Amino acid sequence: MSSLALDLELDSALTLSQAAMGCEFQIRQVEGPACRQLREIGFCEQMRVKKLTNGRNMLCTICGTRLALSKDLADQIMVIPA
Amino acid sequence: MSTQSSEACVALVGHPNTGKTTLFNALTGQNQKIGNYTGVTVEKRSGDFFTPHGKKIELVDLPGCYSLIPNSPDEAVTRDALLGDLSEEETPDLVLCVLDAANLERHLYLLQQVLDLGCPVLAVLNKVDLAEQMGLRIDPAQLSKDFDIPFIAISGNKQRGVTQLKQAIRFPLPQAPGRCWQGSPEIEKTLKHLEKTLAEQNIPRPAAHAIQALSDPTYEVGNLTAPTGLDEQISKKRFEIIQAAIDNGVRRPDQSPLSLTDKLDHWLLHPFWGWAFFSVLMFTVFWSIFRFAETPMGWIESLQTATQNWIGSFMSEGDFKSLIIDGIIAGVGGVLVFLPQIILLFFFISLLESSGYMARAAYLMDGIMNKVGLSGKSFLPLLSGYACAIPGIMATRTIPNAKERLATILILPWTSCTARLPVYVLIIPLMVTGTFAQGAALFGIYALGTITALLTAKILKPRLGAAEAPQFILELPPYHRPQISYILKQVWERASAFLKKAGTVILGLSIILWFLDTYPKSDSDDPVVQQAASFNGKIGKAIEPIVAPLGWDSRMGTAMIASFAAREVFRSSLAISYATDEEEEETLRAQLTASTRKDGSMLYTPLVGLSIIIFFIYALQCLPTTAVVRRETNSWKWALAQLGGMTLFAYLAALIVYQTGLLLGFT
Repeated sequence: MSSLALDLELDSALTLSQAAMGCEFQIRQVEGPACRQLREIGFCEQMRVKKLTNGRNMLCTICGTRLALSKDLADQIMVIPA
Repeated sequence: MSTQSSEACVALVGHPNTGKTTLFNALTGQNQKIGNYTGVTVEKRSGDFFTPHGKKIELVDLPGCYSLIPNSPDEAVTRDALLGDLSEEETPDLVLCVLDAANLERHLYLLQQVLDLGCPVLAVLNKVDLAEQMGLRIDPAQLSKDFDIPFIAISGNKQRGVTQLKQAIRFPLPQAPGRCWQGSPEIEKTLKHLEKTLAEQNIPRPAAHAIQALSDPTYEVGNLTAPTGLDEQISKKRFEIIQAAIDNGVRRPDQSPLSLTDKLDHWLLHPFWGWAFFSVLMFTVFWSIFRFAETPMGWIESLQTATQNWIGSFMSEGDFKSLIIDGIIAGVGGVLVFLPQIILLFFFISLLESSGYMARAAYLMDGIMNKVGLSGKSFLPLLSGYACAIPGIMATRTIPNAKERLATILILPWTSCTARLPVYVLIIPLMVTGTFAQGAALFGIYALGTITALLTAKILKPRLGAAEAPQFILELPPYHRPQISYILKQVWERASAFLKKAGTVILGLSIILWFLDTYPKSDSDDPVVQQAASFNGKIGKAIEPIVAPLGWDSRMGTAMIASFAAREVFRSSLAISYATDEEEEETLRAQLTASTRKDGSMLYTPLVGLSIIIFFIYALQCLPTTAVVRRETNSWKWALAQLGGMTLFAYLAALIVYQTGLLLGFT
């Protein structure tokens, strides 16, 4: 994907904390101070993630694993609808 | 690189919750030993097993980690073990990389990192049965081709595939395939340069150290300054390889139906029902500890009395008989009687862990923990503290934030450990009657300790220096049927540790206490006069002015001093000192109920009982804990401040409770 197309797509992307509950998304970008830690635990670009709950600590599933993560971490994950 | 007796050293590597330890147990059976890695307080679990060809293999279970870029001291041990940087530890001849087949995408990154270090690797696809249930189609042959290493599918829980795995660990061991990706010219050039520099500095395995140094800017090796900024590129390269391997070898169903875990979590993590369940569950645990332990405790007490009578029947009167009956049997028996409660507590903790609920409890507790500046990550160490402060303090190593970890260590001894249980169980029935009320009192004691600990964390945390807000990320494993073998193993380990303590430390202290209670001898036959003349009587008299404002007599004061070596000794000490009284009561509790002050008033009133309990909730009477805190914080300052602070707090709290009680008209 060209960088312009990626930029346009990122413009329409949401953070995981903004994303709607109960829906499935694809991760477009992981950016922020904890991005390495997030990638290592499974939040990598292209992965599909389903957000299960909202709140200060949100629940989501990624590759069949349930993870709880705080809002400041979820803010570092940009997603688009899958 | 193997030890003299074994022919190869094999290391187990994997994420937490991948079933690594289950596989370790399945392979090694009973041939295990637990030690520590030199210089660090990380537990080392190793064992032996034989391949079908009769070759002896040493298996080391390395601490679980998500990546070789460590976030905690545990994870650093895994990295150093693979790089051969641990002194006195051998570099593994083969690495068994345990991957969760149900979440393969997340686990391949660690495998990729291990391969990049140039280790010979055998990939173990665990939980294949679970993956099949989820509708996943995994092609191990394709994965083997992509990564150029064998992939063995097993189900550790059901012991399926373990024999095939043993057969795969055959000699000659698999060769290291090495790095299976080519970086940008900049990366390759830098790697070559680093490798050359490290080789010149005589660093073993320079290629492995070079890739590690380039992937992790915080990693230090030799006199090397690795350029920063390339780690992101390396990480992206690795993910590209993984993504391609997943596309080739794994097919996921488009829509997965709601699993049992989804349905259970809907209720158990609910903002209201989740908490309701958690509270009821915790209360049930404490109630059960009282209720179900009653009968076996009665048996142990009867056995103790019968043994005392039986031995007493054929021994002539004298100091030796007194040592055996009043010293050893009363002292050790007084502590052994709590074995059923300790077994029950560990049974419940292991049950919750094994069923997958414990992580949910951490999730629920994160909200509360956050209000006091901690995170849900502190919950598991604090909960372990209810069993024993030492493993609890060691478990804080999983907390990445240093300030949060220190605050957790400092408050942890206020979560009441099992050593306090004998004291609580002895004193509570002197205060309230009825199993329900006693269960509620025990629950209240635990709640009081916990609430004080959390409030202290809130006060303490900002004073420990500025730190970033704790970030919370936690894996919630699927619920599964508790593994009875795991539970029994945990209970057995803890019960045998308790019995060992009773047979060594408590036996020794019981003999010393008996000696201090018996000598020097007085001319009088009156036990009260004899007690006053003994060393203990004198110590008790000396500290009576200090403990009298708490409502205690000199014997309680002596028992309290003795309990600083180990809390359980409080009960032994009372058992020994009251065993010499005139009253021929059967149990210690009956002896305490019957004991009086000099003016004839009852000694163990509910208010005195409360004062004792308050002291025991807050006092840090455990020298091994202080030693572990010193080791974990690497500072005597924190360890001694904790010991002094908690003792002073305990004294003042007991003083306030007793004196306020008196003012309010309680006796």
